[in-house]
Amino acid sequence: MRKPKNDLLQGTLALLVLKTLARGPLHGYGITLHIQMVSKDILRVEEGSLYPALHRMEQDGWVSAEWGISENNRRARYYRLSAKGRKQLAEEEKNWERLTQAVAHVLQFA
Amino acid sequence: MSLITRIKGMLRRARLDHDLDEELRSHLEMRAADNLAAGMSPEQARHEAQKRFGNTTLLKEDTREMDIVGWLDEAARDFRHALRMLLRNPGFTVVAVLTLALGIGANTAIFSVINSVLLHPLPYHDPDNLVMVWESNSQHPNPHNTVSPPNFLDWQTRNTVFSSMAFIFDERDNLTGNGQPQEVVVQDVSASFFSLLGVDPIIGPGFTLENGQPGHANVVILSYGLWKERFAGDPAIVGKSILLNGHPQTVVGVAPQNFQWFIKDGSLTSAKPQMWSPFVFPQSFHDHKQIGRFMTVVARLHPGATHSQAQIQMNAIASRLEQEYPDFNGHWGVNVVPLRQQISGDLRPALLVLFGAVAFVLLIACANVSSLLLARAASREREMAIRTAIGASRWRIARQLLMESLLLALIGGGIGVALAVWGTNALLAASPRNLLDLRSVSMDLRVLAFAVGATLLAGLLFGFLPSYISAHSRISETLKEGGRGSSSANRRAFARNAFVVAQLGLALVLLTGSGLLIRSFVRLIGVDPGFDTGHLLTFKIALPRSKYGTDPLCLAFFRQLLDRISTVPGVRSASMENYPPLAGLGAATGVHLLSQPLLALSDLPVANVGVVGPDYFATMNIPLRAGRLFSAQELAEEKHVTIINQAFADKYLHGVNPLGQKAAIYMKSFAENEIQPSEIIGVVGDVHQMGLDAAPEPTVYWPYPELVYSSMSILVRTSNDPVAMVSAARNELQQMDPELPMAAVATMDQLLADSLSRSRFTMLLLGIFAAVALMLAAVGIYGLIAYSVTQRTQELGIRIALGAQRRDVLRLVLGQGTRLTLLGVTVGVLAALGLVRLLSTLLFGVSATDPLTFAGVAVLLGLVALAACYLPARRATRVDPIVALRYE
Repeated sequence: MRKPKNDLLQGTLALLVLKTLARGPLHGYGITLHIQMVSKDILRVEEGSLYPALHRMEQDGWVSAEWGISENNRRARYYRLSAKGRKQLAEEEKNWERLTQAVAHVLQFA
Repeated sequence: MSLITRIKGMLRRARLDHDLDEELRSHLEMRAADNLAAGMSPEQARHEAQKRFGNTTLLKEDTREMDIVGWLDEAARDFRHALRMLLRNPGFTVVAVLTLALGIGANTAIFSVINSVLLHPLPYHDPDNLVMVWESNSQHPNPHNTVSPPNFLDWQTRNTVFSSMAFIFDERDNLTGNGQPQEVVVQDVSASFFSLLGVDPIIGPGFTLENGQPGHANVVILSYGLWKERFAGDPAIVGKSILLNGHPQTVVGVAPQNFQWFIKDGSLTSAKPQMWSPFVFPQSFHDHKQIGRFMTVVARLHPGATHSQAQIQMNAIASRLEQEYPDFNGHWGVNVVPLRQQISGDLRPALLVLFGAVAFVLLIACANVSSLLLARAASREREMAIRTAIGASRWRIARQLLMESLLLALIGGGIGVALAVWGTNALLAASPRNLLDLRSVSMDLRVLAFAVGATLLAGLLFGFLPSYISAHSRISETLKEGGRGSSSANRRAFARNAFVVAQLGLALVLLTGSGLLIRSFVRLIGVDPGFDTGHLLTFKIALPRSKYGTDPLCLAFFRQLLDRISTVPGVRSASMENYPPLAGLGAATGVHLLSQPLLALSDLPVANVGVVGPDYFATMNIPLRAGRLFSAQELAEEKHVTIINQAFADKYLHGVNPLGQKAAIYMKSFAENEIQPSEIIGVVGDVHQMGLDAAPEPTVYWPYPELVYSSMSILVRTSNDPVAMVSAARNELQQMDPELPMAAVATMDQLLADSLSRSRFTMLLLGIFAAVALMLAAVGIYGLIAYSVTQRTQELGIRIALGAQRRDVLRLVLGQGTRLTLLGVTVGVLAALGLVRLLSTLLFGVSATDPLTFAGVAVLLGLVALAACYLPARRATRVDPIVALRYE
């Protein structure tokens, strides 16, 4: 199987999306722009991964979605973090810290 | 789930689909706008935005499916999309297309032969109502025994199921006048023969019923070939006279080009006719005591009468004839055989076996392609998941994938048909003479329809499972797991394993069949024919009765001819026989050993009768086992002596010393009191008269003066290449009688090769198919293991990192291959045990369940499969743990 280039580490997409939405409701395109910008162009979210992920999060009840008007007057679907989503975000953040610490330990040890 | 929730779900999904569509479009527009702002051209901006979505179409598809125009539009789009996908993976496409072309091509080629041989209409009027009527004896195995003239006459008058019956018997006659003398094969037939078949001559009136009356039978119909060759297609040939055996005959017609009548069973010349002549039964043909069985009979069923009705009525007639003439007709019955079955009879089993074999090859090819598609589907899982996520229905996805499969099948089928045209011609070129009896195989509509059918079926067959699994994959799982470990991935893995097992099983069946044929062929060529076939030339001389009407004339002629040929430098010895071995013919009759009780004629021991010239046993190199050979005097005049073969002694004398015994040989008469018994003076070794696969039959040999034939086969033992002696022999013949032609010139090695040709040909073809099957199956298991090694790179990397040795990795990977191989071999052996019975008529000297063959092919398949697994396994041992861990 060909490896999708420049893709995010598995499982981190949800974390990044949830974190982005913690700042306030945003549409899909805005999410990609935000992640790309904040990560200084290192992380790039593929549309092909983002929408299925958003779709799933909506089904799981982590986010809710509604139609709104974007900053430049376009109809866009805005995603908003739900209470359940916030809990999930905290969970995922904790996991992430544990993981990075573990990796850091290994790196320091070696 | 209740109906209401389901409908709600459907409505909700419809809404979601719509939302998604809107949403993605707005995303696209925003991206395009930003691109525009960043300085791209509008075109570029849009294109770039689209590109980031990959090749998935974002337009609403469901609504389009509502109307037919939209549907066609969708289909065209699917087609273009499929074409793009195939072009994007040229490696995959080429492998898949070639595999399919091979499978479909082989099937079409064999089918075109079957079409021509088994299905093509026969060139007669209403051929399905034509039957052959044979005699058959419950004591002897031949179901197609020739018919006696008096029985034919009784059948004709007593039956009510046939609208007409005709007899045929063939002979070689000398055609003289206008040019070189030529031996032609003439079929003596009922005057009604052509009208029964419903065939009219292309020129001339043909036979009339009057030609069946004494004194009016001196007419002939020429075959198209003879008319063209001998008479240069003379359009005014009708009414002209030709000389046949010195007698004038009037040409009354020329048969159509495609007309021929050749029934191998019962043919006395084993050759196709060049001429037909009506024959009027002389008085002797009405008497059972004076005439034996030598004719073939064809009949046309009354409209509405069936084959089985005919069989039942003929059985009744035969049993009455058995009571009326117990001596002659004891144990004799009648066998009615539809003409088509008669003609294709002996080719049928071989062709059907070959057809089964190519069908297996196609199945294996389909499994291979299906397996490839499954592997590819896994890597396209995300594409499919996204398409589903953004609203494509399962049917839509399945249709898309099926379109790709059908496109593959169509390209493969196209190449396959081209291969088949080429392949059938190669097949015909490679097939032995007289085996297929076809000059060309036509690609008619039926063959084309078959090819299209096979192609579409193959496309659906190999496309269905991959499409089904992809269409039923669960999006959420797919996206969570990145395409690995999901339920559809598990289903795919299971399907691919099953395919490999099936492929190995099918290949094993083919290998077993091919192995059995090879074993029986080896057995066959290992059979000692009973005489030395090397450096032995044979040809046939038929003396016209008009010129050599008495026995002393024939005797003198052949004696002088043999003397002359013997003195030619390079000839070691020369002799003659009525029917030489391996030519497919022989004379046989009942023999009464005087030391044994006299039985009814039909219960007497049966023996072949070989009538031989001087030095016969030395020329043929047949060993003398007891007693002595014929003396010079016995070879010059009738002394009532005979030599028997070992099979005769074993079968009929049961250890009693045969020498000095007297035997009444029912050859010249069927009345015991008219027969002068012959004394047995010697016993010689057995000869396989009818071919290596037929057991030697009991035989009695007579010196030529005992029974003078006007037509004999000359046998010449040479020091060097026998073919080089043909012209010298012809020279001697021409010096004695310039009007006599040499016929059926052949070397014994050639006749031996011909008698083996069918077995060799079937073995060769099945061997090729089995090899292809083996190769495809090996590619199949190689592909599976290679794929799974790629999939497990990470796992293998971790194992190696944790200290797994090369050996351990090898064992791990090969273990998977071994399990599949063992399973495949088991399945294959079981299937083969069930299927090889179909081969039994093609086997010689080896049982259909021959354990050695089964073990041999199982080991062969196992080794090949493991070798195919070894390549990826070795690659697995070289996995670099660092690279592997970074892999995902």
